[in-house]
Amino acid sequence: MNKSPCCSASDHAFSRRRLLGAAATATGVGGLGGLLEPSVAEELRKNEKQVLFVWLDGGMSQLESWDPKPNTQFGGPYRAIPTSVPGIHVGELLPHTAKQMHHLSIVRSVHTQDNSHSAGVGRINRGDPKNRGVVYPYFGSAVAKLLGPTSTGLPPYCWVKPYSGGFKTEHTGFLPAKYGALAFGDAKPPENLLLNEAVSLEQNQARNELRKMFNERFTEDRRRDWADANSYVFDVADTLMKRMDLFDESTISERDKDRYGRHALGRHMLMGRRLLEAGVRFVKVNSYHWDSHGDNFNACESLIPQFDQPFAAMLEDLAERDMLDNVLVIAISEFGRTPRINSHVGRDHWPEAWSVAMGGGGIKRGQVVGKTNKLGTFVESEEYDIGHLFQTWFRALGVPEEKMEYVNEGQPLPVAHEECHAIEELLG
Amino acid sequence: MARSALLTCAVVVLSSFDGFAAEPLHQRIDELIAADFKGEPTSLSNDVEYFRRVNLDLAGRIPSAADSRSFLEDASPDKRVAVIDRLLASPEFADRMANLFHVMLMERRGDNEDWMRFLKTSFAQNKSWDQMVREILNPDREDESLRGAAYFYTRRLEKSGQQTTDFPGLTRDVGRLFLGIDLQCAECHDHLFIDDYKQRDFQGLFAVYQNISIRSEKFPAINEKTMTAKLEFVSVFDASAKGDTGPRIPFGKEFEIPEPPPVDPTAKKKRPDPNDPPTFSALSVIADSLPSSDNQLFRRNIVNRLWFCMMGRGLVEPLDQFHSANQATHPQLLELLADEFAAHDFDIRWMIRELALSDTWQRSSRLNSPTAPPRETYQVGNQRRLTAEQLFWSTLQATGNLERLAPKDGEKPSNEFKELQTGFVTSFASEPKEPAVDYTPAVKQALFLLNDSKVLSLLKPQPGNLIGTLTSLPDEQVADELFLSVFCRLPDDTERTTINDYLKNNVDRKEEALSQLAWAMLTSIEFAVNH
Repeated sequence: MNKSPCCSASDHAFSRRRLLGAAATATGVGGLGGLLEPSVAEELRKNEKQVLFVWLDGGMSQLESWDPKPNTQFGGPYRAIPTSVPGIHVGELLPHTAKQMHHLSIVRSVHTQDNSHSAGVGRINRGDPKNRGVVYPYFGSAVAKLLGPTSTGLPPYCWVKPYSGGFKTEHTGFLPAKYGALAFGDAKPPENLLLNEAVSLEQNQARNELRKMFNERFTEDRRRDWADANSYVFDVADTLMKRMDLFDESTISERDKDRYGRHALGRHMLMGRRLLEAGVRFVKVNSYHWDSHGDNFNACESLIPQFDQPFAAMLEDLAERDMLDNVLVIAISEFGRTPRINSHVGRDHWPEAWSVAMGGGGIKRGQVVGKTNKLGTFVESEEYDIGHLFQTWFRALGVPEEKMEYVNEGQPLPVAHEECHAIEELLG
Repeated sequence: MARSALLTCAVVVLSSFDGFAAEPLHQRIDELIAADFKGEPTSLSNDVEYFRRVNLDLAGRIPSAADSRSFLEDASPDKRVAVIDRLLASPEFADRMANLFHVMLMERRGDNEDWMRFLKTSFAQNKSWDQMVREILNPDREDESLRGAAYFYTRRLEKSGQQTTDFPGLTRDVGRLFLGIDLQCAECHDHLFIDDYKQRDFQGLFAVYQNISIRSEKFPAINEKTMTAKLEFVSVFDASAKGDTGPRIPFGKEFEIPEPPPVDPTAKKKRPDPNDPPTFSALSVIADSLPSSDNQLFRRNIVNRLWFCMMGRGLVEPLDQFHSANQATHPQLLELLADEFAAHDFDIRWMIRELALSDTWQRSSRLNSPTAPPRETYQVGNQRRLTAEQLFWSTLQATGNLERLAPKDGEKPSNEFKELQTGFVTSFASEPKEPAVDYTPAVKQALFLLNDSKVLSLLKPQPGNLIGTLTSLPDEQVADELFLSVFCRLPDDTERTTINDYLKNNVDRKEEALSQLAWAMLTSIEFAVNH
C-alpha cells in the first residue's frame, strides 16, 4: 500500500481530464493547458530549436566512458584516451566520440536521488520535480507542450525504440494524451502511417479536400472547437504521410549504414537523424539493457561501442549539416554505476557521482563541468541533480523559466524544480 | 454541517415542487433549465437531427436511410414519442446500455463474456439500478446469468507485473463509480482540500475490499475472508489522528462486526480453505446498504451520469467529485432527478425516456447567435463524441454493410467483423482506466480512417451496400441517397449541386468518386459526433 505523505500523484488524474475538457472548450486545439504568458509561449513556438535525447535504459558506466579513472582502485582495465579537445580524456571504448569532443560537453558531477530502476526511469525523465501531487511529463512531452511542433507541422515528439511502436501516452503526466510520443518500433513506422496502396496521392488529396469541405459546412452554424481538433489530427497525419521517404530504406547510403552501424542502436540513431532533418522537434532514441550487474567489463566492451559509433556519426552529421547550433544533444542514463566492483565482476547502480554528456544548441562545447574524487566515488565540486540539468536544457531551448509555468487545474506548476538552477558554465 | 445544509436544501426543493408535482418529469426538467437562463434558447432539433440523435442514444448507431426516409415522411404528430418507445423496447437498447455501462464501469480495462451477458440480460429485463449494483457489489456465483457481475472486482484484483493487487484502487472505484466521490486522497489522511472526504470513509470501504480475492473458476468469481476486527488507521500527517472502523458506507453508517462463532476446542484443526464462505460477510453488508434510496450520493451519482450521457455535460463535474464545495450547476434539478429516480424504483428505461422527452435533450445543436452560450446552460444542444462502438456500428450502417457483417443471433462473428471492431475500438477508445468523458481526437484515429484496408474495403461496391447501390442510381438521385445514408439527412441545394458537379467532373470514374465522397463524409466531424 502506498503510504507516501503526499497523495500518490495519479490521484490527480481528474485534473488532466477536466483541464482537457475546459481547454478544448476555450481554445480548441491550440493551447491545451494554460501557460503563464501566452505571448512568451507564442514566441517560443517560433524558434526552431530541436532536441536529440539518447536514453540508455539502465546505467552506462561513467568509469568506462565519460569519467575514466585508469590505474585506480576501482578504475577497471580500460585506458583513458585523449580527445579532439586538449586536456579532456574519455574511456578508450569511445574512440569515435573522442574525435567529436569539440561538439560536446561532459558534466561529471551529476548526483541524483534514486538507485532503483522503478523510481529512476521516471525521476530522470521527468526532471525529478518537487512533489506537488501531480505526475510531471517526460522531457519529450514537456518540450512538445512548451515548444509545439516546428514549422514543419510534424509530430513534435518522436521516439525511436526497440520492440513495439505506436502512439504512446504514458509519458505525458498531467498533460493531455496528445503530447505523447509517436513511437517507431525498431525504426519502423507505426501502423497505418503509409498511404494505403489502393489510394493514389491525387485520390488522397481529393478525398481530404472533400472532408474539409464537409467540415466547413457543418461548422458554419455550430461550435467549431471539436471540428478544429478533428481537422488538426488529420493535418498531422497528412504531414507525416507526406514524409514516407523517411521510411524508405533505399534512400539510405551504404556509407551511412556503415558509419552508424548495422546493429539496432545504429539503425535507430540513423532514423533519429532523418527525423531531426525532417524537422521533428524532439527525437528520443532509446537503447535498453544497460545494466551490467555482472561481467561489467565485457558488457561495456560490447555495449559502449554500439553507442559510440552512431552517436559520433550523429554529432559529425549534425555539425556538417549546420544543424548542431539548433539541436540540443543529450546522452543520459538512469544513473551511473558503482565504483566498487561486485563479486560478479559487475557494477551496480550509483546515483551518487556520474556523468551526462550534452552539446549542440545553446550549450557551450568542449567543456568538462565538475569533478569526482580520485577514486570516482563521490563528487568533489558542486553536485548537480537532474533538476539542474532540466533547468539548463530549458534555458538552452529558450524557455525563460521565470515566465514559464504550466497551469494545471488552476494550479501553477514550474516547468522544472525551482530549487535547482541552470549550470551557467554550460550556457553561452 | 455541510450535509445538514444539503438536507435542508432538499426539503425546501421538495416542498417547492408540491404545486406542480403532477407534471411529468421532462416538463419539470425544462422549467428548471429555463429558469436558470435569461436568453432565448435555440429551436428544437428538426426531424432529421432528432431521429439521428435518438437512434444513437437509444440504439447505439445511426438509423438506416430507409428508416430516416420513413420517419421524415411520417406525418403523425406524436411520431417522436413513438420512436422513443419503439427503440426503448428494442434489443438494440439493451445492447447500447450494456456497452455504455461497460465502458463507464470498466473504463476499458478489458472485456469478459460473462460480464457482458450480465449487463445485457439486466438491461433487457430492465432491472432496477439498485438491484444491479447489489449484484455487482456482492456477486452471486451460483446464478449463471448473474455471476459475470464479479468481473467488476476480478479484473481489478488482477495483479499486473510486479504490482501487488491494487485494493486501494478498487476501493476508490467503488466510491467513484457508484457514489460519485473520489476518495483516493483520503486513503492516508483526511482530504486536504475537500472537507467532506474523511480518512474513515475510505478506510471503511477499504476494510471490506481488502478481504476479497479472485476465486479460481472458469468464470469471474471471488472469495471473501471473514472480517473479525475493525481496521485501524492513522493519518500520515498527524500520528495522533488515529481511528478504527468496521465496514462503513462513506458519510454514512458504520456496521458492527459480530463476534466470531466459538471455536470447538475438540474439533480437529484444519487449514482454512479460501473457498469457504465467510462466517460474517462485510461485502454483503455493504452491498445491501450502499445501493439504497436512503443513500443520497447513490441516487445523485447515477442520475448525474445518465444526464451526462444524454446531455453531454454532468450537472456535477467531474462526475466523481460530489462534495459540498462543488455544487451542481442546477442543484434543484439534480435533487429532482435523484428523488424521482428513487421514487420510480431506479428504473433506468423510465429515466432515459423522460430525458429524451425533454426539450432540453431535443435542442438543436445549431447556434442562434455568433457566441455559443456555455454548455451548462443547455440552450444549444451539446455535441457529444460518438463512443468507439457507436462509431463502429454507425460506419457499418452508413456504408450499407450492417446486414452483411453483423453476426446474426447465435452466429459467431466473422473475422472481418472482429478485425474491424477491434480496429475501431483500439483507435477510438479512451486509454485504459481513463473515464471516457472528453472528445480527444488523435493522430492514430485519423491514420486508421485514412489507411486501414478493412475500413476502405467497406467502400468497395458490393450488391446491396452503399457504394453498390449508388453506382446503379442515376446521378441526380445519388446526393439524396448518399446524404440520407451517411448524414441521416437530405442535402441542401448547395450540397446537392456540389455532389452533382463532383460526379460530372469524374464521370469516367464514378465508383471511385462515390467512394471518395462517402469516405469524406464518414471522416468528417458531422459523422463523428452526436449533434
